[in-house]
Amino acid sequence: VSSLITPVERGQTGGVSAWTAHVLNSAMSWPDAYRSALRERRGRTILLTVLVILVFTYPLINRYALQPFSRNVFPLPVPDDTTVVFMLIFAAMAVGLNIVIGFAGLLDLGYVAFYALGAYTAAYLMSPHWGSFGVSLVLFSDVPPNFPGIHLPFFIVFWLAAVVAAVFGALLGAPTLRLRGDYLAIVTLGFGEIVPVFFKNLVNVHFELGPIKLVNANLTGGPLGINPIDAPSVLGIKMGVISGFNAVYLGLAIVLLCVVIARNLERSRMGRAWMAIREDETAAEMMGVNTVRTKLLAFALGASFAGFAGAMQASYQGATTSDFFMFSTSILVVVMIILGGIGNIWGVILGAVVVQYIDKTLLAWAGARLTEIGAATGNPGFRDINPSQFSFLLLGIALVAMMRFRPEGFLPSRQRAAEMHTAPPDQAIGSAALLDDSTGADNLGTPAGDEEAEPATTPDQDEEQSP
Amino acid sequence: MAEQLIQTVIIGLSNGLIYALVALGYTLVYGIIELINFAHGSVFMLGSMIAFTLLVAVGVSPGMPVGEIALLVIIVLGVTMALTATLNVAIERVAYRPLRNAPRLAPLIAAIGMDFVLQNVGLLWKGPANLGFPDVIPNANVLTTVLGLDTGISITYKQIFAVAVTVPLLVVLTWFVSKTRQGKAMRATAQDPDTAGLMGINVDRTIAITFIIAGALAGAAGLVQILYNNTTVWSLGFRFGLNAFTSAVLGGIGNLKGAVLGGIVLGLINAFSDRYLAAQWTNAIVFGVLIAILVFRPTGILGQQLADRA
Repeated sequence: VSSLITPVERGQTGGVSAWTAHVLNSAMSWPDAYRSALRERRGRTILLTVLVILVFTYPLINRYALQPFSRNVFPLPVPDDTTVVFMLIFAAMAVGLNIVIGFAGLLDLGYVAFYALGAYTAAYLMSPHWGSFGVSLVLFSDVPPNFPGIHLPFFIVFWLAAVVAAVFGALLGAPTLRLRGDYLAIVTLGFGEIVPVFFKNLVNVHFELGPIKLVNANLTGGPLGINPIDAPSVLGIKMGVISGFNAVYLGLAIVLLCVVIARNLERSRMGRAWMAIREDETAAEMMGVNTVRTKLLAFALGASFAGFAGAMQASYQGATTSDFFMFSTSILVVVMIILGGIGNIWGVILGAVVVQYIDKTLLAWAGARLTEIGAATGNPGFRDINPSQFSFLLLGIALVAMMRFRPEGFLPSRQRAAEMHTAPPDQAIGSAALLDDSTGADNLGTPAGDEEAEPATTPDQDEEQSP
Repeated sequence: MAEQLIQTVIIGLSNGLIYALVALGYTLVYGIIELINFAHGSVFMLGSMIAFTLLVAVGVSPGMPVGEIALLVIIVLGVTMALTATLNVAIERVAYRPLRNAPRLAPLIAAIGMDFVLQNVGLLWKGPANLGFPDVIPNANVLTTVLGLDTGISITYKQIFAVAVTVPLLVVLTWFVSKTRQGKAMRATAQDPDTAGLMGINVDRTIAITFIIAGALAGAAGLVQILYNNTTVWSLGFRFGLNAFTSAVLGGIGNLKGAVLGGIVLGLINAFSDRYLAAQWTNAIVFGVLIAILVFRPTGILGQQLADRA
């Protein structure tokens, strides 16, 4: 990997203290930086400033200015706080999955597994669940001492959830990342299906190993899941589902954290290695990129973002069950990335916001309007149309249409857009000699009796040379 | 004990043959354009709904004479296969053909999108509830009622029916791919579409025919599903499709005999897991098997060289 970085860059990775100094330095100098940005790129900077102010005042505007009037003044409905929080939870996941799919080019269809692992980690560490095992551990939490179960503060659990998700990401990745393309997609999909099955079914476990003895142990809460889970709180301010818009700020902070991490990763040596692998794994390997390690890190780091999101989901809603973590959720995040703009952090956040808005707010609103129209016109047929149930139909159509007409998404990264329009020759469908080296007449693509088939790895010369 | 074992094997075999029919669809399409056709499971699901609708429409019911049922079922089988074949080739035309020169990710995502579209078509068409169909083909044990044997093992008329539909189709397919001119064109296209095109093979048409065959097999599996398992629902295609895809991978994707073998092995795994473990773990086991195969032997049981791809 060493060829990818300059000696100067390597010198900068100088331990924690240097990093802290760097962070402090940039924090102190931001007014200067802002002024110079305003001078150099005026339009863009002003737009960004307005956007940031809008985002951070939105919860207040929403509560005091928009919500009371939404039905009368605005043509479209305003999302409520819970929807906004879920926009942010999904935005965090989209940014994380974008590392895996967008940066490193690995199709992960089981991302929901890491979301589930994050949520259950939070549930285990912030609920009375272990009380039935005689465990009581309350640390820095606003729960009374000696309360049954483990109760750790959200800001510790949040990181632990990410660590757990990342560890499982690495565990899954280690044996599977040798696979390419669609095979990896299938393995991750399988993993995404298995994890919720475990959470659903580990209800009466019998287990005996030395001093550890479990009889009829309910490890996961089964189909009912785990609840109640402590709400996140900072300095005594609760940020759960009943506390209104506080949680929106927590969500914003989480997304901001994810964006900062992802942005720095993208521009790091690791980020360049990911993109090299995405574009041509073999060439990247020849250039000295340790492909297995690099892909593993993409997988684990991407998974850790889902851990953040899972911890937020569990703690915010105060409950989690295995039914939250279906294959369709994995696909939902993929859709957000594809629609928003694969490879571009802002694009995928836009995708998350728009898809959640349509799914949770717009369709429900359309249903309510249809019912009103039905009542006004005396036509009960309108009441029976429920647009919310069309959401996945719409998403499906959107996916097919996007792939055909704008595969790079609405806000793509320039590099990714170029790739999506011209396939590298050895990746285009049907060009690799997949089925060359087979021996039975029942194999598709085998000339019967061809004993001297070429090895499948032989590249097709003509195609390699075409531009 | 031994009887239980044999019974589990029989159940596994007959379920496995239905998996095989759908698995062939995955393997045919993967073999020719290297696309995991995610939508295929839902084509099977819609096939089962079409078969259900047709069977109700022609009025097949348990009381009818055997000859009449057989005739109607054969007609319904033909119509269902024709409709799902049309559907499948239309999907190829709309969603996959325009993406033939796109990166591999693009058609895969289009296929996932198509899967959601088809699932929702099923949902809108028949609603969210399970559709039940009566036992037109009796569930009686042939061994005791006809042969008069005194045994705990049972082979039902339904199982015989499932075998009677699937095995001839498998034989015809094998013959088609290995012996006919069109089959040869398919094999050539699978091996190298560009060269096949230069040799005068109409590649687009050959791919379309592959989708037609895959769709027809899914339709047949849909009818068997209705008459053998007596039920269908909009979400059936996803699970069933994943099982079938696992079968295809198990046998070595792109390999026709492998798909059939894989289907049978998977049927057996399912049956044994249901019987000796617990049904709620069966899915986890199926996916565990899938992951293990892909990791340790990506070429499947009968496999072929996939070293570059997998």
